[in-house]
Amino acid sequence: CASPPLAAPVTTGASEQASQGPWSGRLSLQVDSEPPQGFHAGFELLGNAQAGELRLYSPLGSALASARWSADSAWLLRGDEQRAYPDLATLTAALTGAALPVSELFQWLQGHPAQPPGWTVQLGPADGRMLARRLEPAPSATLRLILDRPQP
Amino acid sequence: DGLSDLESFLRQARQGRASFTQVVTPPRREGEAAPRSKTSSGSFEFLRPSRFRFHYLKPFEQQIVADGQTLWLFDADLNQVTARKQQEVLGNTPAALIATASDLKALSGLFTLANAPDADGQQWVLATPKSRDGQLQSVRLGFRQGQLATLEMLDGFGQRSVMQFGPLDTQAGLKPGHFAFQPPPGADLLRQ
Repeated sequence: CASPPLAAPVTTGASEQASQGPWSGRLSLQVDSEPPQGFHAGFELLGNAQAGELRLYSPLGSALASARWSADSAWLLRGDEQRAYPDLATLTAALTGAALPVSELFQWLQGHPAQPPGWTVQLGPADGRMLARRLEPAPSATLRLILDRPQP
Repeated sequence: DGLSDLESFLRQARQGRASFTQVVTPPRREGEAAPRSKTSSGSFEFLRPSRFRFHYLKPFEQQIVADGQTLWLFDADLNQVTARKQQEVLGNTPAALIATASDLKALSGLFTLANAPDADGQQWVLATPKSRDGQLQSVRLGFRQGQLATLEMLDGFGQRSVMQFGPLDTQAGLKPGHFAFQPPPGADLLRQ
Protein backbone atom coordinates (compact mmCIF):
# COMPACT_ATOMS: atom_id res chain seq x y z
CA CYS A 1 0.00 0.00 0.00
CA ALA A 2 1.26 3.47 -0.77
CA SER A 3 0.98 5.13 2.55
CA PRO A 4 1.81 4.07 6.12
CA PRO A 5 -0.99 2.55 8.15
CA LEU A 6 -2.49 5.01 10.62
CA ALA A 7 -1.21 4.89 14.17
CA ALA A 8 -2.09 1.39 15.26
CA PRO A 9 -5.57 1.43 16.74
CA VAL A 10 -5.32 0.92 20.50
CA THR A 11 -8.17 -1.54 20.68
CA THR A 12 -7.02 -4.31 18.34
CA GLY A 13 -9.48 -7.18 17.56
CA ALA A 14 -9.87 -9.85 20.21
CA SER A 15 -8.36 -13.17 19.01
CA GLU A 16 -4.85 -14.21 19.92
CA GLN A 17 -3.31 -11.08 18.39
CA ALA A 18 -4.39 -8.75 21.12
CA SER A 19 -0.98 -7.87 22.72
CA GLN A 20 -1.89 -4.13 22.71
CA GLY A 21 0.35 -2.22 25.20
CA PRO A 22 1.52 0.53 25.05
CA TRP A 23 4.71 -0.55 26.77
CA SER A 24 7.29 2.12 27.33
CA GLY A 25 10.86 1.99 28.50
CA ARG A 26 14.43 2.21 27.18
CA LEU A 27 16.35 -0.09 24.95
CA SER A 28 19.96 -0.32 23.87
CA LEU A 29 21.42 -2.44 21.11
CA GLN A 30 25.12 -3.10 20.63
CA VAL A 31 26.26 -4.79 17.42
CA ASP A 32 29.79 -6.21 17.54
CA SER A 33 30.48 -5.25 13.91
CA GLU A 34 33.64 -3.54 12.72
CA PRO A 35 33.36 -0.69 13.72
CA PRO A 36 30.88 -1.61 16.46
CA GLN A 37 27.43 -0.02 16.13
CA GLY A 38 25.30 1.19 19.00
CA PHE A 39 21.69 2.26 19.31
CA HIS A 40 20.13 3.64 22.49
CA ALA A 41 16.71 5.23 22.85
CA GLY A 42 13.55 5.48 24.86
CA PHE A 43 10.66 3.60 23.26
CA GLU A 44 6.91 3.13 23.26
CA LEU A 45 5.55 -0.10 21.76
CA LEU A 46 1.93 -0.68 20.85
CA GLY A 47 -0.20 -3.28 19.07
CA ASN A 48 1.11 -6.73 18.21
CA ALA A 49 3.38 -8.49 15.75
CA GLN A 50 0.79 -8.28 12.98
CA ALA A 51 -0.03 -4.57 13.34
CA GLY A 52 1.55 -2.06 15.63
CA GLU A 53 3.84 0.86 16.24
CA LEU A 54 7.26 1.39 17.82
CA ARG A 55 8.17 4.97 18.69
CA LEU A 56 11.73 5.90 19.60
CA TYR A 57 12.62 8.91 21.75
CA SER A 58 15.77 10.84 22.57
CA PRO A 59 16.89 11.07 26.19
CA LEU A 60 15.38 14.58 26.43
CA GLY A 61 12.06 13.10 25.38
CA SER A 62 11.71 14.31 21.82
CA ALA A 63 10.71 11.80 19.16
CA LEU A 64 13.42 10.32 16.94
CA ALA A 65 11.51 7.98 14.68
CA SER A 66 8.44 5.79 14.47
CA ALA A 67 8.03 2.37 12.90
CA ARG A 68 4.52 1.28 11.90
CA TRP A 69 3.66 -2.09 10.47
CA SER A 70 0.71 -4.11 9.33
CA ALA A 71 0.43 -7.57 7.76
CA ASP A 72 1.81 -6.47 4.42
CA SER A 73 3.87 -3.36 5.06
CA ALA A 74 6.42 -1.76 7.39
CA TRP A 75 7.09 1.97 7.39
CA LEU A 76 9.74 4.09 9.04
CA LEU A 77 8.70 7.67 9.76
CA ARG A 78 11.53 10.06 10.66
CA GLY A 79 10.92 13.77 10.49
CA ASP A 80 9.35 14.39 7.10
CA GLU A 81 10.74 11.16 5.63
CA GLN A 82 8.42 8.15 5.17
CA ARG A 83 10.15 5.03 3.91
CA ALA A 84 8.59 1.64 3.18
CA TYR A 85 10.36 -1.63 3.95
CA PRO A 86 9.37 -5.16 2.91
CA ASP A 87 9.06 -6.21 6.55
CA LEU A 88 9.80 -5.23 10.11
CA ALA A 89 13.06 -7.21 10.25
CA THR A 90 14.63 -5.20 7.41
CA LEU A 91 13.24 -1.97 8.85
CA THR A 92 14.71 -2.53 12.32
CA ALA A 93 18.00 -3.69 10.81
CA ALA A 94 18.24 -0.43 8.85
CA LEU A 95 17.27 1.63 11.90
CA THR A 96 19.30 0.00 14.68
CA GLY A 97 21.94 -2.17 13.00
CA ALA A 98 20.30 -5.53 13.72
CA ALA A 99 16.94 -7.07 12.82
CA LEU A 100 14.98 -6.97 16.06
CA PRO A 101 12.78 -10.02 16.79
CA VAL A 102 9.64 -7.92 17.32
CA SER A 103 7.08 -10.73 17.50
CA GLU A 104 9.15 -12.42 20.24
CA LEU A 105 9.52 -8.99 21.88
CA PHE A 106 5.76 -8.83 22.32
CA GLN A 107 5.84 -12.26 23.97
CA TRP A 108 8.73 -11.22 26.26
CA LEU A 109 6.80 -8.11 27.27
CA GLN A 110 4.03 -10.41 28.46
CA GLY A 111 6.53 -12.46 30.44
CA HIS A 112 6.72 -15.51 28.10
CA PRO A 113 10.41 -15.85 27.18
CA ALA A 114 10.31 -16.91 23.52
CA GLN A 115 13.65 -17.91 21.94
CA PRO A 116 13.86 -16.50 18.43
CA PRO A 117 16.33 -18.35 16.17
CA GLY A 118 19.91 -17.20 16.86
CA TRP A 119 19.06 -15.31 20.06
CA THR A 120 19.28 -16.32 23.71
CA VAL A 121 17.01 -14.40 26.06
CA GLN A 122 17.16 -13.71 29.77
CA LEU A 123 14.25 -12.05 31.54
CA GLY A 124 15.00 -10.28 34.80
CA PRO A 125 16.81 -10.04 37.21
CA ALA A 126 14.24 -7.46 38.34
CA ASP A 127 10.91 -7.54 36.54
CA GLY A 128 10.62 -5.45 33.42
CA ARG A 129 14.23 -6.13 32.43
CA MET A 130 15.45 -8.20 29.53
CA LEU A 131 18.80 -9.09 28.05
CA ALA A 132 18.99 -10.80 24.66
CA ARG A 133 22.18 -11.96 22.91
CA ARG A 134 22.23 -12.72 19.19
CA LEU A 135 24.83 -15.32 18.28
CA GLU A 136 23.87 -15.83 14.67
CA PRO A 137 23.84 -14.45 12.12
CA ALA A 138 27.12 -12.72 12.85
CA PRO A 139 28.07 -10.18 13.96
CA SER A 140 26.92 -10.91 17.50
CA ALA A 141 24.63 -8.33 19.12
CA THR A 142 23.28 -7.52 22.58
CA LEU A 143 19.84 -6.08 23.14
CA ARG A 144 19.00 -4.66 26.58
CA LEU A 145 15.52 -3.50 27.40
CA ILE A 146 14.03 -1.97 30.54
CA LEU A 147 10.35 -1.31 31.00
CA ASP A 148 9.39 1.90 32.78
CA ARG A 149 7.82 1.12 36.13
CA PRO A 150 4.17 2.15 35.77
CA GLN A 151 3.94 5.70 37.13
CA PRO A 152 1.56 6.09 40.12
CA ASP B 1 9.65 40.98 26.14
CA GLY B 2 10.73 37.39 25.53
CA LEU B 3 13.45 38.15 22.99
CA SER B 4 15.13 40.78 25.16
CA ASP B 5 14.98 38.40 28.14
CA LEU B 6 16.57 35.68 26.03
CA GLU B 7 19.26 38.06 24.82
CA SER B 8 20.21 39.21 28.31
CA PHE B 9 20.00 35.61 29.57
CA LEU B 10 22.51 34.49 26.91
CA ARG B 11 24.78 37.44 27.69
CA GLN B 12 24.59 37.51 31.48
CA ALA B 13 24.12 33.87 32.48
CA ARG B 14 27.51 32.55 31.41
CA GLN B 15 26.97 29.59 33.72
CA GLY B 16 24.15 28.29 35.87
CA ARG B 17 22.67 25.51 37.93
CA ALA B 18 18.98 24.77 38.59
CA SER B 19 16.75 21.86 39.48
CA PHE B 20 14.11 20.91 36.90
CA THR B 21 10.89 18.94 36.59
CA GLN B 22 9.91 17.65 33.16
CA VAL B 23 6.45 16.45 32.08
CA VAL B 24 6.27 14.67 28.72
CA THR B 25 2.79 14.20 27.23
CA PRO B 26 2.38 12.13 24.07
CA PRO B 27 -0.33 13.13 21.60
CA ARG B 28 -3.72 11.57 22.35
CA ARG B 29 -4.18 8.30 20.49
CA GLU B 30 -7.54 7.34 19.08
CA GLY B 31 -9.46 5.18 21.52
CA GLU B 32 -7.52 6.62 24.45
CA ALA B 33 -9.18 8.56 27.25
CA ALA B 34 -6.35 10.88 28.27
CA PRO B 35 -2.76 10.72 27.13
CA ARG B 36 -0.43 9.27 29.79
CA SER B 37 2.16 11.89 30.71
CA LYS B 38 5.49 11.01 32.31
CA THR B 39 7.17 13.14 34.95
CA SER B 40 10.91 13.17 35.61
CA SER B 41 13.18 15.46 37.59
CA GLY B 42 16.83 16.25 38.21
CA SER B 43 19.39 19.02 37.94
CA PHE B 44 20.57 21.11 34.99
CA GLU B 45 23.96 22.82 34.84
CA PHE B 46 25.72 24.72 32.06
CA LEU B 47 28.87 26.67 31.33
CA ARG B 48 28.90 28.61 28.08
CA PRO B 49 29.86 28.20 25.37
CA SER B 50 29.92 24.43 25.10
CA ARG B 51 29.29 22.56 28.33
CA PHE B 52 26.14 21.38 30.10
CA ARG B 53 24.69 18.48 32.08
CA PHE B 54 21.12 17.22 32.46
CA HIS B 55 21.25 14.85 35.41
CA TYR B 56 17.93 13.01 35.71
CA LEU B 57 17.39 11.37 39.10
CA LYS B 58 13.74 10.36 39.01
CA PRO B 59 12.14 8.02 37.92
CA PHE B 60 15.51 6.63 36.83
CA GLU B 61 19.08 7.91 36.76
CA GLN B 62 20.32 9.22 33.44
CA GLN B 63 22.98 11.79 32.56
CA ILE B 64 23.36 13.82 29.37
CA VAL B 65 26.73 15.60 29.55
CA ALA B 66 28.38 17.90 26.98
CA ASP B 67 32.02 18.31 27.99
CA GLY B 68 32.96 20.62 25.10
CA GLN B 69 33.96 17.92 22.61
CA THR B 70 31.84 14.88 23.37
CA LEU B 71 28.16 14.45 24.20
CA TRP B 72 27.89 11.65 26.76
CA LEU B 73 24.66 9.78 27.50
CA PHE B 74 24.72 7.52 30.55
CA ASP B 75 21.78 5.30 31.50
CA ALA B 76 22.43 3.80 34.94
CA ASP B 77 19.85 0.99 34.68
CA LEU B 78 21.12 -0.14 31.30
CA ASN B 79 24.69 0.51 32.55
CA GLN B 80 25.32 1.96 29.13
CA VAL B 81 27.30 5.02 27.98
CA THR B 82 26.91 6.43 24.48
CA ALA B 83 29.50 8.96 23.27
CA ARG B 84 29.05 11.17 20.23
CA LYS B 85 30.92 14.11 18.76
CA GLN B 86 29.23 17.16 20.17
CA GLN B 87 29.02 19.29 17.08
CA GLU B 88 27.49 16.46 15.10
CA VAL B 89 24.59 16.21 17.49
CA LEU B 90 23.85 19.49 19.21
CA GLY B 91 22.98 21.79 16.33
CA ASN B 92 19.37 22.76 16.75
CA THR B 93 18.54 20.89 19.95
CA PRO B 94 16.80 22.61 22.84
CA ALA B 95 20.02 22.28 24.85
CA ALA B 96 21.73 24.51 22.26
CA LEU B 97 19.03 27.11 22.83
CA ILE B 98 19.62 27.56 26.52
CA ALA B 99 23.09 26.25 27.26
CA THR B 100 25.55 26.48 24.43
CA ALA B 101 24.38 29.35 22.23
CA SER B 102 26.75 32.30 22.67
CA ASP B 103 24.36 35.04 21.56
CA LEU B 104 21.07 35.77 19.81
CA LYS B 105 22.76 36.15 16.44
CA ALA B 106 24.31 32.66 16.64
CA LEU B 107 20.98 31.27 17.75
CA SER B 108 19.04 32.89 14.93
CA GLY B 109 21.24 30.95 12.52
CA LEU B 110 19.66 27.73 13.86
CA PHE B 111 16.17 28.90 14.86
CA THR B 112 13.64 31.44 13.69
CA LEU B 113 13.08 33.42 16.90
CA ALA B 114 9.96 35.39 17.67
CA ASN B 115 8.17 36.86 20.66
CA ALA B 116 5.15 34.88 21.83
CA PRO B 117 2.28 36.21 23.96
CA ASP B 118 2.79 36.44 27.74
CA ALA B 119 1.30 33.51 29.66
CA ASP B 120 1.54 32.02 33.19
CA GLY B 121 3.26 35.18 34.34
CA GLN B 122 6.11 34.60 31.88
CA GLN B 123 7.48 36.28 28.76
CA TRP B 124 7.87 33.77 25.94
CA VAL B 125 10.03 33.20 22.88
CA LEU B 126 9.00 30.83 20.10
CA ALA B 127 11.96 29.14 18.40
CA THR B 128 11.32 27.18 15.22
CA PRO B 129 14.25 25.09 13.94
CA LYS B 130 15.47 26.19 10.54
CA SER B 131 16.68 22.73 9.51
CA ARG B 132 13.72 20.66 8.42
CA ASP B 133 14.84 17.36 9.97
CA GLY B 134 11.37 17.37 11.45
CA GLN B 135 12.34 15.97 14.82
CA LEU B 136 11.41 19.18 16.57
CA GLN B 137 8.43 21.25 15.46
CA SER B 138 9.05 24.13 17.87
CA VAL B 139 10.53 25.12 21.20
CA ARG B 140 9.19 27.78 23.56
CA LEU B 141 11.25 29.47 26.25
CA GLY B 142 9.55 31.15 29.20
CA PHE B 143 11.19 33.84 31.36
CA ARG B 144 9.84 35.01 34.72
CA GLN B 145 11.27 38.42 35.72
CA GLY B 146 14.07 37.82 33.24
CA GLN B 147 14.99 34.41 34.72
CA LEU B 148 14.73 31.25 32.55
CA ALA B 149 11.71 29.40 33.95
CA THR B 150 10.35 27.02 31.26
CA LEU B 151 11.58 25.09 28.23
CA GLU B 152 8.75 23.61 26.16
CA MET B 153 9.39 21.29 23.23
CA LEU B 154 6.87 20.11 20.63
CA ASP B 155 8.27 17.28 18.54
CA GLY B 156 7.47 15.86 15.13
CA PHE B 157 4.82 13.48 16.57
CA GLY B 158 3.03 16.20 18.45
CA GLN B 159 4.48 15.09 21.76
CA ARG B 160 4.87 17.98 24.22
CA SER B 161 7.63 18.14 26.79
CA VAL B 162 7.52 20.90 29.42
CA MET B 163 10.65 21.39 31.52
CA GLN B 164 10.26 23.79 34.44
CA PHE B 165 13.35 25.12 36.19
CA GLY B 166 13.81 26.03 39.83
CA PRO B 167 15.76 29.18 40.82
CA LEU B 168 18.87 29.56 38.66
CA ASP B 169 22.14 29.91 40.58
CA THR B 170 24.58 31.71 38.27
CA GLN B 171 27.31 32.06 40.91
CA ALA B 172 27.99 28.37 41.40
CA GLY B 173 31.63 28.71 40.29
CA LEU B 174 31.33 25.88 37.77
CA LYS B 175 34.65 25.09 36.05
CA PRO B 176 35.15 23.18 32.74
CA GLY B 177 36.45 20.21 34.74
CA HIS B 178 33.08 19.96 36.41
CA PHE B 179 31.67 18.78 33.07
CA ALA B 180 34.26 16.07 32.47
CA PHE B 181 32.47 12.71 32.27
CA GLN B 182 34.12 9.43 33.27
CA PRO B 183 32.20 6.30 32.19
CA PRO B 184 31.65 4.28 35.38
CA PRO B 185 33.69 1.05 35.62
CA GLY B 186 31.90 -1.89 34.03
CA ALA B 187 29.56 0.28 31.94
CA ASP B 188 29.35 -0.55 28.23
CA LEU B 189 30.74 2.28 26.12
CA LEU B 190 29.28 2.84 22.64
CA ARG B 191 30.97 5.36 20.37
CA GLN B 192 28.66 6.54 17.60
